[in-house]
Amino acid sequence: MLELNPILVKDLRSRMRGARAYILLTIYLLILAGVALLLYVAIARDIGNELNAGRQIGRALFFTISTVALIEVCLITPVLTSGSIAGEKERQTYDLLVASLLTPWQIVWGKLVSALAFALLLIVAIVPVMSLAFLFGGIGLTEVLIAIVGLVVTALLYATIGLFWSAMLQSSLGATSFAIGTVIALLLGIPFLVVIFSLIIGSSAPSALLDSIWFIYLSRFVIALHPFIALGTTASQLSSGGEIFFEVVRTGATQVVVPSPWVLYSALSIFFSAALLAASVRLVQPMRTGADRKTRAVKKR
Amino acid sequence: MTSLVETHNLTRRYGSNLALDHLNLTIPEGAIFGFIGPNGAGKTTTMRILTTLLPPTSGEALIAGVSVTREPRAVRRLVGFMPDFFGVYDNMKSWEYLDFFGRSYGIPAQRRQQLIGELLELVDLAHKRDEPVMSLSRGMKQRLSLARSMMHDPRLLILDEPASGLDPRARIELRELLKELRVMGKTIMISSHILSELAEMCTHIGIIERGKLLAAGEVQEILRTLRPHRIVEIRVVAGAAHAEALLRAHPDVLELRREGARAESDGQEAPLNDETGPHTLLADFDGDEHALGDLLAMLIAEGVRISHFAEQSGDLEDIFLHVTKGIV
Ligand SMILES: Nc1ncnc2c1ncn2[C@@H]1O[C@H](COP(=O)(O)OP(=O)(O)OP(=O)(O)O)[C@@H](O)[C@H]1O
Ligand SMILES: [Mg+2]
Repeated sequence: MLELNPILVKDLRSRMRGARAYILLTIYLLILAGVALLLYVAIARDIGNELNAGRQIGRALFFTISTVALIEVCLITPVLTSGSIAGEKERQTYDLLVASLLTPWQIVWGKLVSALAFALLLIVAIVPVMSLAFLFGGIGLTEVLIAIVGLVVTALLYATIGLFWSAMLQSSLGATSFAIGTVIALLLGIPFLVVIFSLIIGSSAPSALLDSIWFIYLSRFVIALHPFIALGTTASQLSSGGEIFFEVVRTGATQVVVPSPWVLYSALSIFFSAALLAASVRLVQPMRTGADRKTRAVKKR
Repeated sequence: MTSLVETHNLTRRYGSNLALDHLNLTIPEGAIFGFIGPNGAGKTTTMRILTTLLPPTSGEALIAGVSVTREPRAVRRLVGFMPDFFGVYDNMKSWEYLDFFGRSYGIPAQRRQQLIGELLELVDLAHKRDEPVMSLSRGMKQRLSLARSMMHDPRLLILDEPASGLDPRARIELRELLKELRVMGKTIMISSHILSELAEMCTHIGIIERGKLLAAGEVQEILRTLRPHRIVEIRVVAGAAHAEALLRAHPDVLELRREGARAESDGQEAPLNDETGPHTLLADFDGDEHALGDLLAMLIAEGVRISHFAEQSGDLEDIFLHVTKGIV
């Protein structure tokens, strides 16, 4: 199709037309800049005279900014999408879209891309702040690029989580609550499970289990579900001289090669995004029995 | 006339609630089909199935021979829909609203521009082209929505209670607009629970209640078959009680009602009192003009004072009450 997706055009237009987009962007950047400045002041006083003070400031700035940006992306993107389809239902414009010649895929895709475009704007906006850290030295281009990839795939996954709830539920308030709930469950639940697991099994586990290939894969898999743990692990591996794309785990006599956490994280994020997108598309197809909506039961009279 | 819409045993359940019960509906091409029924009768449910927004539980619906369930996209091309409740987008102008739906129907940019002008002209909103949709009045939004439903030049327009919430003038304008659309060759299906709203503009009607089609066909035919007798309206200034007794005893009077009472049994208890003002009686009369003349002469000879004596014009409202009697 030569024409741009109509939903995308409409949503981008209305997103950018109001003052909300600019206010959100401004708040987001103010938080980032504020944190960076505070950090700089704190660190500069502490290690002002050391030889490689510049490098340390650079690294601290980079990791802080990346972390804050990641938190913001995790919280903002699901909110951007969770209102999208549910918002059409609330506004009673949803039926008009579904009854038109738009395919369910076009509707879902248009909603996703318009939200992602805005999320990408947020990510691009931190590039100047990151290059400031770059100027101090201490971090390489590899780290910056991995951080950006990590932010982008996180935006994608968390946007589709919001989109899925938006296609599932009738009100944007409900969809937003469930989306944020899912995000919090992921971000806090995974570390919680890891801690519980290591408390139970950690001290008493036989080394045969801990050294088995399955355990290595499984633990890497769990780690790769969590953006902060995955990207953080990658960062520490890189700073201790590890490879970019894979990691060699030594277990007794043998060596196991596993993909770097950030690679696995990106792959899993893309996979789950695709699955959630497919689920959303199914939900938008009215002629499939089961996708039957129940809004009108409470409607009137 | 070939039929554009056909449903075969169309059934829809919501849990245990049977919203549509083996509905067999036919709408000929070029008709203005009035779909009438009380609240909760299943009008909206039928329309949502025909617009592919709701899957039927069983049965089949065809639009121009195309199955609603098997080829929804082909059906969407044929049908323009105006739901009973619909929203508009804030910060969108009238022309942008139409433009957006034009895109959604894959209409090329050039044709779209031209169409928007024509349709705004048709629904008399050309002067509101650059106004935000939110600022339009309800009647204007309704007309804009009608223009929207016509963007892809559908053969069938399905309008769910388009006149609700409109003032009398807006209703008349809507009626004129629909007549114009009919001249353009559109088939129109329009629902309402107010019969008089549809009476003058429809060529066909279907009466639905509790998911069942009670009657359907050409308006004139329905009038003939469902109301074989004339209803005579008699306004009595004096001697009402006597008149009532006389009419009741008359062999040609099949049924006698007092105005305001819905069924014969409603107001039978107390005899009519002339003190409480002139009363109007409605007599279901099975006889010709001559018999009617004799009836009037008889009443006057009996001393009844009559200020008004006239045959009621064929009123769909009565048919509606007659057909749906007791089930509501
Ligand atoms: N989403 C739904 N869930 C459950 N029941 C429903 C739903 N929509 C409609 N119904 C039921 O189906 C029946 C028919 O409803 P429908 O909306 O088709 O009636 P209607 O003729 O359009 O009435 P109205 O004049 O009030 O618009 C009603 O009994 C209603 O309660
Ligand atoms: Mg209805």
